[in-house]
Amino acid sequence: MEELIIELKKKIIEVLNLEDVLPEDIENDAPLFGEGLGLDSIDALELIVMMEKVYGIKIKDPAAGKEIFKSINTMAEFVSKNRTK
Amino acid sequence: MEPIMITGAGIVSAIGNNRTETLAALLNKQTGIAPLQYLKTAHREFPVGEVKMSDEEMKQRLGITQEPTTRTSLMGMLALQEALESANLQGRKDLNVMLVSGTTVGGMDRSEQYYLDYLSNDDRNDYIKTHDCGATTELMAERFGLFTLATSISTACSSAANAIILGANLIRSGRAEIVVVGGAECITKFHLNGFNSLMILDHEQCRPFDATRAGLNLGEGAAYLVLETAASAQRRGVQALATLSGYGNACDAFHQTASSDDGEGAYLAMQKALTLAGLQPSDIDYVNAHGTGTPNNDVSESQALFRLFEDKVPPVSSTKGMTGHTTSASGSVEAVICLLALQHGFIPANYGWKEAMENGVRPVAEVQKGVALHHVMCNSFGFGGNDSSLILSLVSSAKDEHRKSTPVYIQAATHISAQQPLSEDWMSEPVYHDVPYVRSADPDFKAWLNPLESRRMGKIMKRALVTAMKVMQDTGVTQPDAIVTGTGLGCIENTELFLDQLCREGEEMLKPTYFMQSTHNTISSLIAIKGGCHGYNSTYSHKSISFDSALLDAYLQLQLEDIRTALVTGNDEMTPSYFSILQRTGYVGAPGEVAATETSVAMMLTTEPCEALCVVEDVRLSLGMPQLTDFVGNVDAVMLGYNGQQDNDRIYETLAAQLPDVPQLHYKHLFGEGYTTSGLGLYAAAQLLKSGVAPAFMCCGGRTEPLPVNRLLFVNHSDGQDVCCAILKRL
Repeated sequence: MEELIIELKKKIIEVLNLEDVLPEDIENDAPLFGEGLGLDSIDALELIVMMEKVYGIKIKDPAAGKEIFKSINTMAEFVSKNRTK
Repeated sequence: MEPIMITGAGIVSAIGNNRTETLAALLNKQTGIAPLQYLKTAHREFPVGEVKMSDEEMKQRLGITQEPTTRTSLMGMLALQEALESANLQGRKDLNVMLVSGTTVGGMDRSEQYYLDYLSNDDRNDYIKTHDCGATTELMAERFGLFTLATSISTACSSAANAIILGANLIRSGRAEIVVVGGAECITKFHLNGFNSLMILDHEQCRPFDATRAGLNLGEGAAYLVLETAASAQRRGVQALATLSGYGNACDAFHQTASSDDGEGAYLAMQKALTLAGLQPSDIDYVNAHGTGTPNNDVSESQALFRLFEDKVPPVSSTKGMTGHTTSASGSVEAVICLLALQHGFIPANYGWKEAMENGVRPVAEVQKGVALHHVMCNSFGFGGNDSSLILSLVSSAKDEHRKSTPVYIQAATHISAQQPLSEDWMSEPVYHDVPYVRSADPDFKAWLNPLESRRMGKIMKRALVTAMKVMQDTGVTQPDAIVTGTGLGCIENTELFLDQLCREGEEMLKPTYFMQSTHNTISSLIAIKGGCHGYNSTYSHKSISFDSALLDAYLQLQLEDIRTALVTGNDEMTPSYFSILQRTGYVGAPGEVAATETSVAMMLTTEPCEALCVVEDVRLSLGMPQLTDFVGNVDAVMLGYNGQQDNDRIYETLAAQLPDVPQLHYKHLFGEGYTTSGLGLYAAAQLLKSGVAPAFMCCGGRTEPLPVNRLLFVNHSDGQDVCCAILKRL
């Protein structure tokens, strides 16, 4: 899980082009959207594409992203349960 | 405002190829949304509102065989033909008839087919020049050969509504008696995939304002209205079908693709339209809503309607359940639908609606016939919060207005270009480039923008934002009444990235960021979002007069005293692959020509007397060569866009020959060539008027002494077709 968490943080930084953010700056439990990292609905769509490309998980309902992308922890849990690659 | 007559109209959409068919479909509540038939795409799962003709069938109907064309231009020609015929304008070259058209897709239907050819071979070179928005408008204009001005607006889904607004301003300012206005847009794989990447397409028939709505269905079409002064209509003996009695444009300034929860931009646009029309909310008998069927739009628009009309919301319907969302054409497609509703006394149905949504309007579900309508409102909202609202009336409430012509000043300006960026003093140390392709000299963006807010921005957006911020800072005008941008190609880097993915990787897992950044109006709306500017916001994309068109728009509104301050910007960027295409095809980069470069220029225009750079005495656009001696008067210099290309320079020589004794200035040897380099030229002209002398290095003919300049004519042309003349004067 620890490995996946680091990988996810790196992917998020890369896919969302978060210049000046380091993996260690993102807390596992902190909210990614709104107050925390300050991401928005377009970032959520980018993460949906990333989930399909990297982990083979297809998310059909954009609203479902809200729960999945709450924090790094929720993302990691979702990926480990649903990944197909 | 003075009453503006609508003396003609034409329409092509999924529900009919003319007004008669459209009316029949509306009265019978027939949808044109069906499985995909014409567009070649892997996404067969999405229902769409296609015009029920192939490109070939459209060409047959038009009686043309020419290529290149674009599907958008073919639909546009059909709708224009009907509009011109109905207003009895066919072939009337003796009249001064202008054309303002909205599109965002332009020639993308061809580019997405031939993109890989463009990059690697010469098989499809003819189509390269049809890519941009302006090319599509010019293809349409050429077909009729009677327009005296042509320009293109690109504000995504409100483009056609904003074209109607510019047309009205051209009439109110006394520039025109007849303007044909509207928009055209075909469905492309590019934006079908783009909307899919944003996850806002419904897999079923769309259901605007319904509790179960799940997105929009794309549509396509074209529609044009003929706007005319009462005096001209009377003189020509044509009947007005209705009048355009009010309009408003405001910016939501909230997010690039989402609308705010309280619908601020929509609310302000509707309110402005009512004010201009001199009407009360209770005067509106019907609202044709933007109503796309996306969860977000319909909530936001409902809130705006509740704020404006309170508990007395008039009958509302979205007709997108029948036509699909015709994107850039929707403003005029729906204006023609409103016109038909007014003329025939009915309220169109909100097709697909069954169940009331929470906190939303309850639309008219079935056609209501035999209803006396006096004033109807038509809403069009675009990405970036470019929101516009129109009011059409059977009998106008408008009164004659005293025609104003308030002096307009260029208060301050700045640039990021091939010269020292953001510097007021670049003329003291001009930089010369001896290479065919120069990227802008960029400042340290981090000093202006934090990395989180700029994470999705390409270079063009950062440059546009920084130049805008600098001018706002320098002038203290942090929330101008209008922000108007000109861009020939918009955010070409992101467009190219999305096209590349689409053509090489296929139609799955495309990056939503590339798509949302590819729309031309991204630039103007980003400036508005950054500054919280809810005023007028628009974007022009018409080849090399893109900036000039933006300047004209702002100038007219300032003169009309609709606004007091306007930020006008010009932005274009170059990518290595785009440059290589242009070079291979001989458009740029030959020896002896100036470099192909990038442009970012921003200037604040104001009617408040101030320590300005100069006064703008006049701005004129024309399709075809103008007679300069008719309006120029005495000038100390004429500034021309010589770039070393024979065809280009010959046109400037011909124009300048009309003013044989006037010294000539040039600027493209400093800034290079690009679609909006004229903005940099105008900026340089304003700067030298401030000092009262043109440096010798800007003078043509080997002059070695600076030239005193108090009044200057700036001339810019696009392919020898469109010409802009601006007269600037020293304070």
